[in-house]
Amino acid sequence: MSRKTVMVVDDDPVFREAVGAVLETRYDVREAANGADALAALAGALPDLIVLDVMMDYPSEGFDVARTLQNDERTRPIPVVMLTGVDQVYNYRMETDETWVPCARFLEKPITPERLLQEIGELIG
Amino acid sequence: MNGPDQDLDDASLGDELAGRLAWFVRLRWVAVATLALAAVAGPPVGLDRFWPGLLYIAAAVAGYNALCWWRLTRARAAGTTSDPAHPIPSIDLRVLAVAQVTLDLAALLVVVHHTGYLASPLLPFFGFHMAIGTILLSTRTMYLVAGATSAAAVVLQIAGWGDAVLNPALMVPSPTSVVVALPLAAFVGFLFGIVYLTGSVSDRLKQRNTELRRLTGALRRQSDDLERLVAELDEIERRKSHYMRVSAHQLRSPLGTVRTALDVLAGGYVDLATPRGQHLIRGATERVDGLLRIVNGLLDLAKVREGRQRAPWTRQVNINQLVADLVDALAPFAEERGVRLEARLDRLAVLDWGVPPDLVHAVENLLHNAIKYSHAGGAVAIELAVEDDVALVSVTDKGIGVPEEFHDQLFLEFVRAPNARVHAPIGTGLGLALVREVAEEHGGVVEYFHPPDGGACFRLALPLHIRPREAVGPLPGRDAAGYRPDTKPRQAGAPGGGIREIQPVSRVLRP
Repeated sequence: MSRKTVMVVDDDPVFREAVGAVLETRYDVREAANGADALAALAGALPDLIVLDVMMDYPSEGFDVARTLQNDERTRPIPVVMLTGVDQVYNYRMETDETWVPCARFLEKPITPERLLQEIGELIG
Repeated sequence: MNGPDQDLDDASLGDELAGRLAWFVRLRWVAVATLALAAVAGPPVGLDRFWPGLLYIAAAVAGYNALCWWRLTRARAAGTTSDPAHPIPSIDLRVLAVAQVTLDLAALLVVVHHTGYLASPLLPFFGFHMAIGTILLSTRTMYLVAGATSAAAVVLQIAGWGDAVLNPALMVPSPTSVVVALPLAAFVGFLFGIVYLTGSVSDRLKQRNTELRRLTGALRRQSDDLERLVAELDEIERRKSHYMRVSAHQLRSPLGTVRTALDVLAGGYVDLATPRGQHLIRGATERVDGLLRIVNGLLDLAKVREGRQRAPWTRQVNINQLVADLVDALAPFAEERGVRLEARLDRLAVLDWGVPPDLVHAVENLLHNAIKYSHAGGAVAIELAVEDDVALVSVTDKGIGVPEEFHDQLFLEFVRAPNARVHAPIGTGLGLALVREVAEEHGGVVEYFHPPDGGACFRLALPLHIRPREAVGPLPGRDAAGYRPDTKPRQAGAPGGGIREIQPVSRVLRP
């Protein structure tokens, strides 16, 4: 059985590298530095899961990306794991009705490698 | 002459009068019913001499009462009692009140005439009507009404003598009798006496009422002020909490990266000895450096925000000297980036009061940013002008500029436009917030101008003659520090500038 692919979207290259090193133990890893790059990369082959940061080029970029993925039939089945320094009740520059985010997991940084592998493993094996 | 009721505001007076008039309209229906009953029930009990006069009077009273009711309803529809923006017009109501009182008295006069005139048992009702009229209207108006009623009574008396009255069956006294004139005089005195007595009591009450209204108004205004103050405090509190949250996030994010990198290395996912391991360590170190920069920036901001009391302020701060020194200090950085620095400092600007370290920090931030965000081979112009006793320090560059969508949040903490992050990855987004704080500390403002041909222009406006309370009076030793005025303005470079014709697009003082 071929390895599954996880895409890590985060504007911090050091974080991408660290998380990438953990995920590489089980999955193929693709990286994107922001939402636009991620969406552009998704035009090609689709990953099996996306790890998505929130505050990138602008404070709520990750939320917007998650909604874009949800609204596209092609990308809707891909589970999204929000992995961010933003906590779940965080309302920075967001209206209350926009706080809803379509994602499979909402994880806060920092996260231990074991927990990350476990959470992703539960979603895609 | 101002009557006590004239001091009342139109809205509340109209409101009150409308209520009273409505009450009298209802009372008048009772009077109409009583008159009609007396007219119908009178003959069977031997009071047939009243018939049919009272029925006509009841019909007349019912007629004008219906008119009053209709007019009052219309006035109430034009304004509402609950909405202060649309009060019931009190002028209309006053006319209506005068008309009602006059008609009531006329009707009563006719009823009294029919029921024994000065000997009528209904005579005391005049007292009731005069008292009600005095409460409703001004005492002056009621003296006039009392005069008119007296005149009408006299006319009726004389008409009675001539046998030309409505009811000739009544016993009419002889005109020569002094006994006739006395009750008439007593009746007139009674009318004026009632107006006088009611007026003196009601005027005092109205005065108290006016005072009460004034006090209520003042209290309401004070309560509004308090409410506004509480809302402002809430807003400050909200802003503070928002700021702390954003600051915490700014610290948490790189900390998360450092922690993850360390976990990855400690967990053996990456070998420290490999290039990848080294890369992670270098990255984590960079994040720690970034954290230190943020903490320092926050500390700088906090220092300025702590206020003037603790600031190391001095008098007579020479801005020319300060700017010239900074231009000299940043020249190597500009050279390193291949940016030409142009300074035009031909106007002498000396602040009466200032905090030199903060001013240095602010101008340095502006100049440093301009160089940092310039393209190699570009130029940065710093100009000092004085207009209307305000020192204007303008820093103009031809660099990457600020995207339009960031103009309104330029001076907020941690805001960095994407093009700024790409052009210069290292930066906290706290510099311009600090410039704003320093400008406010000095009673001034920082503005952003968007040059049409690209680049950016920031202008720091500092009033020359601001002297905070604590700077008044002799304070030996303080003048020695900081930037003292020179005998002539100092020049630190070639002419530059040309931004004054562009309007500021961002003048954010508060988030």
